[in-house]
Amino acid sequence: MRFRSLAAFPLLYAAIFLAIAWSLEGSEALAPFTVWQRILVRVLAAAGCFAAVSCFERGDHLRSAWLWLGAGTIVILIRDLLRLFPGFAPQGTAPNAQLVVTALGILSNLALLGGIWMLARSWKMAAIVLPGGRSGFGVVAVATAVLALTVTGPGAFTHLQEVSRGDWSSLVLVVSAVVDIVTLCLITPLLLTAISLRGGLFAWPWGLVTASQLAWLLYDIAAALRPGLLPAGLPLPEVFRGLAENYLFAAGMAQYFVIHQVRRAAGAPVAPELRPASPA
Amino acid sequence: MAGYPTSFSQQLAARLAPYIGDFNAQMWIKSVARRELGLAPEDLTVTHLPPLIDGLRPFLQTLMGRSTAENLLQQLGREVH
Repeated sequence: MRFRSLAAFPLLYAAIFLAIAWSLEGSEALAPFTVWQRILVRVLAAAGCFAAVSCFERGDHLRSAWLWLGAGTIVILIRDLLRLFPGFAPQGTAPNAQLVVTALGILSNLALLGGIWMLARSWKMAAIVLPGGRSGFGVVAVATAVLALTVTGPGAFTHLQEVSRGDWSSLVLVVSAVVDIVTLCLITPLLLTAISLRGGLFAWPWGLVTASQLAWLLYDIAAALRPGLLPAGLPLPEVFRGLAENYLFAAGMAQYFVIHQVRRAAGAPVAPELRPASPA
Repeated sequence: MAGYPTSFSQQLAARLAPYIGDFNAQMWIKSVARRELGLAPEDLTVTHLPPLIDGLRPFLQTLMGRSTAENLLQQLGREVH
């Protein structure tokens, strides 16, 4: 029940966000509402990541993975908070301030990539047998890579051209697009690990991390759409950003609850039905 | 109790399945039995428990961390002894 609630929370949040955003359509309150809810979902995502970190020991593989994810989320949260100040706002003209914002964006992207990379390679370290074998993995990997390149490739190319013309503020967008392509490709091992662990408690954190990455894919699709294609006042990219961050929060909390559940079970008395049968 | 797993490997798998799923529990035991002991899962007995636990340790440590994996393996050892 606890895990199902965690899985439902991001969807519920998205519905409430959409309802409020629609009710504020055309109002001056919409922009600050969007900004502050973005900060809220970043805080939640960081809290989930550090809850997961707290249940591992120094040197544990997944502790490092969650630490990278948490650090990346904190850095992007700092960038969002800085952007509330006029000098650091997207339309700001202070070059040093923009440099700081760009650097924070790049650092955050790299840290998040590190975390997802570590999570994605866990299946190999844990010798988890992925469903579908090598061919199944290959098919899903190619499909994800094609989708990632289709969604983020054109944007990456455009931003790369802007950088080549001397617009260094676009560098963060290039790094972000490249990181997006790589992390979207990493959906394959995350998804297959979650499927492989189905029926077990550990499927929850993996499934929720996969949902977070899929929401980032939807975010990239929504962000790449021409403005006229979306109904006016529908902040679809923000909806998917919120979904992605909230699923990361849910995944971190699921990781925390799963580890504590295993610890409790490991310390509990043995149930009689689980004792080995006496030899005949 | 009908349908309850009776072989040693099935009992081990049944203990791990709530955490890592039935499919992986069986695959891990099969893999460790083959690699560490050169045995098929159905040939495992309680005497093979120590090498099996040693073989399972790195897998579990990756997924749940060292101390939680150790707690679970100790519990597993107590349950099937």
